[in-house]
Amino acid sequence: MTSMTVNGRAVRFAMDPETPLLWALRDAANLTGTKYGCGEGDCGACMVHVDGEALRSCLITIAEAEGRLITTIEGLSRDRSHPVQQAMVAEQAIQCGFCTPGIVMAAAALLAKTPSPGEEEIKAAIPNLCRCGVYPRLVSAIERAGRVTQRSDTISAAPAPGISAEDAAREVPALSVPDAPE
Amino acid sequence: MTLTRRQFAVGAAAGGGLLVAWYLWPRSYPSPLSPGPGEHVFGGWLTIARDGVVTVAVPQLEMGQGVNSLLAQVAAVELGADWRQIAVEPAPPSGIYGNLPLAAKWAGLWSSVPSLADEADDRLTENFARGEMFAATADGTALEAFELPIRNAAAAARTMLAMAAAERWDIDFEECEVADGFVTYGDERLSFGALVEDAASYDPPDPPPLRPQAASEGPIAGEAEAQTAFPRLDLPAKVDGSFLFACDIRLPGLVYASIRHGPLGQPELSRFDADAVKGMRGVVGVVRSKRYLAAVAESWWTAEQALKAMRPVFRGPPGFDSAAIEPALEAAFDTVEPEAIVSYGDPGELLAAPSHTSRYMIAPAVHASIETASATARFADGRLELWIAAQAPELTRRAAAKAIGIGARDVVLYPTAAGGSFDARLERLHAIEVAQIAQQIGRPVQLTWPRVQEFQSLPPRTPVLAELAAAFTPGTGGQIAAWRTRLAMPATTREFGARLFDNATPESAIANAAGQADPLACEGAVPPYAIANIAVEHLPVTLDLPTGRLRGNSAAYTAFCTESFLDELAEKAGQDPFLYRMALLGQAPRMADVLRRATRIGGWDGGRRGSSQGLAMVRMGSADGGGRIACVAEAALGAGGVQVTRLSAAVDIGRIVNIDLARQQIEGGLIFGLSQATGSSAAFKDGKPVPRSLRGLSLPVLADCPEVIVDFVASEAAPFDPGELGVAVAAPAIANALYSATGRRFRRLPLLSERQ
Repeated sequence: MTSMTVNGRAVRFAMDPETPLLWALRDAANLTGTKYGCGEGDCGACMVHVDGEALRSCLITIAEAEGRLITTIEGLSRDRSHPVQQAMVAEQAIQCGFCTPGIVMAAAALLAKTPSPGEEEIKAAIPNLCRCGVYPRLVSAIERAGRVTQRSDTISAAPAPGISAEDAAREVPALSVPDAPE
Repeated sequence: MTLTRRQFAVGAAAGGGLLVAWYLWPRSYPSPLSPGPGEHVFGGWLTIARDGVVTVAVPQLEMGQGVNSLLAQVAAVELGADWRQIAVEPAPPSGIYGNLPLAAKWAGLWSSVPSLADEADDRLTENFARGEMFAATADGTALEAFELPIRNAAAAARTMLAMAAAERWDIDFEECEVADGFVTYGDERLSFGALVEDAASYDPPDPPPLRPQAASEGPIAGEAEAQTAFPRLDLPAKVDGSFLFACDIRLPGLVYASIRHGPLGQPELSRFDADAVKGMRGVVGVVRSKRYLAAVAESWWTAEQALKAMRPVFRGPPGFDSAAIEPALEAAFDTVEPEAIVSYGDPGELLAAPSHTSRYMIAPAVHASIETASATARFADGRLELWIAAQAPELTRRAAAKAIGIGARDVVLYPTAAGGSFDARLERLHAIEVAQIAQQIGRPVQLTWPRVQEFQSLPPRTPVLAELAAAFTPGTGGQIAAWRTRLAMPATTREFGARLFDNATPESAIANAAGQADPLACEGAVPPYAIANIAVEHLPVTLDLPTGRLRGNSAAYTAFCTESFLDELAEKAGQDPFLYRMALLGQAPRMADVLRRATRIGGWDGGRRGSSQGLAMVRMGSADGGGRIACVAEAALGAGGVQVTRLSAAVDIGRIVNIDLARQQIEGGLIFGLSQATGSSAAFKDGKPVPRSLRGLSLPVLADCPEVIVDFVASEAAPFDPGELGVAVAAPAIANALYSATGRRFRRLPLLSERQ
C-alpha cells in the first residue's frame, strides 16, 4: 500500500509500487485531468505538483511519491479561480485542451515561486508540447496571471462550475428558473 | 439545394421545449434524438427549453478548431439569442447532417461515377451523404456544409417565437424584434422560455426569413487582444480538467487495454509468451487477433507491463525501411508515365528546354497529436456503446459493428472531442480493436494506444518527390511563360479512401490505389499566379508505406514546392521576390492585397542576401472563393538548427464568422507548419518507427515559438476555413528566409533533413 496526500486527501493506492503516479491518478483515483501523451516525459501533459514542484507524473512512481503532497489540476482550485486558469480562458490560450491541464500546472508552479516572471523565465518553465499551437498566447496569459497573483489585475473569464439555475437566471436576463411560474 | 424542396418539421421537446429541424423532401430520416415520454421528436438542429436554454446540435468533431462554438454562434446570431443562454450537444448520426460539400469533394473516393457526384447539389451526392449519414469533419467544410441549414432552423425558431409573441400582443409577427433572448415590440418583451410552448404550435413561413446579415465579426486593427464577443464555450471545462476525452470516460467495472501491432510490412501476429502474464497482478485478460495483441488490466500501465512480458512477434517479409522511399520516387521519373492532372495552354512545347528545374523532397510527416488513439467501449446484450473521437463517425460506427458481427443499429457512438487530431481521427482502427476487446473480455474496456504505436500504425502524410520546371519568355527578364509541377508519390488520397469507405486494410488499400492518378493529392499544385501555360502531373508510385491525411494535406507540400521554386525563379530573374510575385498577381487583387499587407506588417526589406527574411503565399480553394495567406518569415540557422524569430501573416478568409477562432487557427496553423519545417517527419527501420518518441521529432516548444503577427482582411466574400492556410505557408516562408540568411537553398522537408 502506498500512501500520499492527493488534493488534500489522504490516499492509499493498492497497486504495484512501481506504477507511475500518472496511472494511479488516472485509473485508480479517476483524476483524469492529468493526461497521458507519451509516458516518457516528453510532452508534459501529465504535469502535477509534488510538494509544490511541477513534475511529470509519468516519470515518478507511487513508491517515490510516498508521503508527498500531490496536487492535480482538479485540486488546483475548487472553482477555476486560480489566476492561471482565469488567464488561459481570458486569452483563449486553449484549443483542443488536451495539453492544457499540464500547462496550467507548470505555470501555476512557476507563479508560486516567481509571481512576476520575465518572458525568458516563462519560456524556461513551460516545456510542454502543444500541437494546436497556443504558444503565441501563452507568455502573455502567464504574465497576466502573474499580475492577478499580485493583485494588480483581475479576471473573471471562466465561471465557477455548478452554477445554480437561480444564479444563472439572476445573471442572464434571457434565462429563467426551470418551471418557475410565469 | 433549393429552398422549395425543404419542409419543416417541428415538435415539442421533453419538458415542453421547442425542437426545430429541417427535412428534405421527399425523403425522411430516422430521428437522431431519443424521444422521451410524450415527446414528439423529429430530429433537430436546436432545442429551446422553458428555462431559456438554447441547445445547438453540432454534427462536427471538436478537435480544437472551435467548431462547437462556431456553429453555435451561427445559430445564436440568426436566432437573436444571448450567447450565455447557448449550449451545444454533439449531433447523433442522421441523414439530416449529411456533409454535402465534402461528399462532393471526395466523390472519387466513394463513387464509381464521381463525375455525377462532384457537386454538392448533385442528386447522387445528396443520396450518398444523407443516406449514408456522412457527416465527416474534414477539409474545412463545416461552414460550407452547415451554416445555411443551421441559419434556416434558427430563423424558423425565431419566427415561431415572434408569432407566439405577436398573438399575445395582437400585432403582426413581422413587427416584433428578436434580440438577446427576447422578443420585443415597443415596451413589451417576452423571453424565449416564456414563449416556447406557444411557439411550437405555429407553422413558420417556408422558407423562413433569414436575417440580412450572416454571423460575422470584423477585424479591428490593434485589437488582437480584445475580448471576443463569442468566447469559446469549451474553455471553462478544459481549464480545470473536467472536460472528458474518450480516454477519460469512467464506467463501473472499467478495465484498461494497451496494444501492439506488427511493424510495417509484418502485420500478422505470429507468437507471444502467454505464460509470462499468468498470475501477474492486475491483469484481466489477453486478446489476440490476427493483426494485434492486446492486454487488459486494472490499470493501463499494468496492461503495458503485460505486453512487454509477452514479447509479441509478428511475421512477414523484412519490415519496411524508409531508405527505400527516395530511390523509388526518383525512379518514377524514369519509369512511370506521368498522369496529367491539370493542363493549361501548351506547356509541353515550352518546357522542352526549361529555364530552371528543381527537385524537392518531402519526407512523410506525422500527426503527433498529444492524445494518442483511444476509445472506450461497453458490450452487453448484443449492443455496443462506443465513446470515441471520430472525424467520420458513421463509418467508424459501421466498422466497429462489422468487426464484432453486429448491426450498425446495435452500436451507439457517443462522440467525444479529440485531443488534437490533425486528421488522425479519420482513421478508426482503434474503434475496431476496442469493440473486439470489449466483446471478448466481457467488461467495459478503455483502449489507449501507446505513443510508439501511434507512430507505427497511424499512416503518416505521404512522402513526395517533386520536380518543378519553368520556362521564361525570352528577353523578358524572367517572365514565366510555362510552369510544370510533377509529383512522384503514392495515390495517397485513394489509399485513404479505400481504408475509410471500403474498410480496406492498409496493405489492400495500397494495392487498391496502386498506379492510379490522384487529383486530390495534387490539389494546390497549380500556382496561383498569372501563367499562361501550366501542367500538373502525378507520377503514381507504390510504396510499402501506408499514407494518410494530415492537417495541411496536399497544400502543405505543394505550397512548399511552388513558393520555394518561385523564389528560385525570382533569384534567377534578379528580382525582389515580393515584386516578382506582385507582377504575377495583376488578375488576383485579393492575393495582391494579402501580399502587400504581409510585407508591410513583416517589414519586408527586399529579401536581399543576409536579410534573413523570406516570403511565401498560398491560395486554397477556388479562385473566386477560397482563402488566401501571405507570410513574411524571419529565420536563421543557429547551433540548435532552424531558428524562426518572427512570422507575420496577412489573411483573407472572406467573411469572418468568429475573429478569435480564426486567429487561433492561423496562429496554430503557422506553428504546425513551423513544426513541419523543423521536424515532424517519420522514418522506419525494420518496419519500426524512428524516432520512437516525441522527443525525436524536433517539435517546437514555447521557447522555440517565434513572434507571430496576424492581420485579417475585412471581406464580404464567402467564408473560407482558416485551419490549413497557416500550415501551408509557414514552411516555404521559412525556407526562403533561410536562403536569404545563408545563401543555401533548402529543398527538403524537414528543412535540415538529409537523404536516408
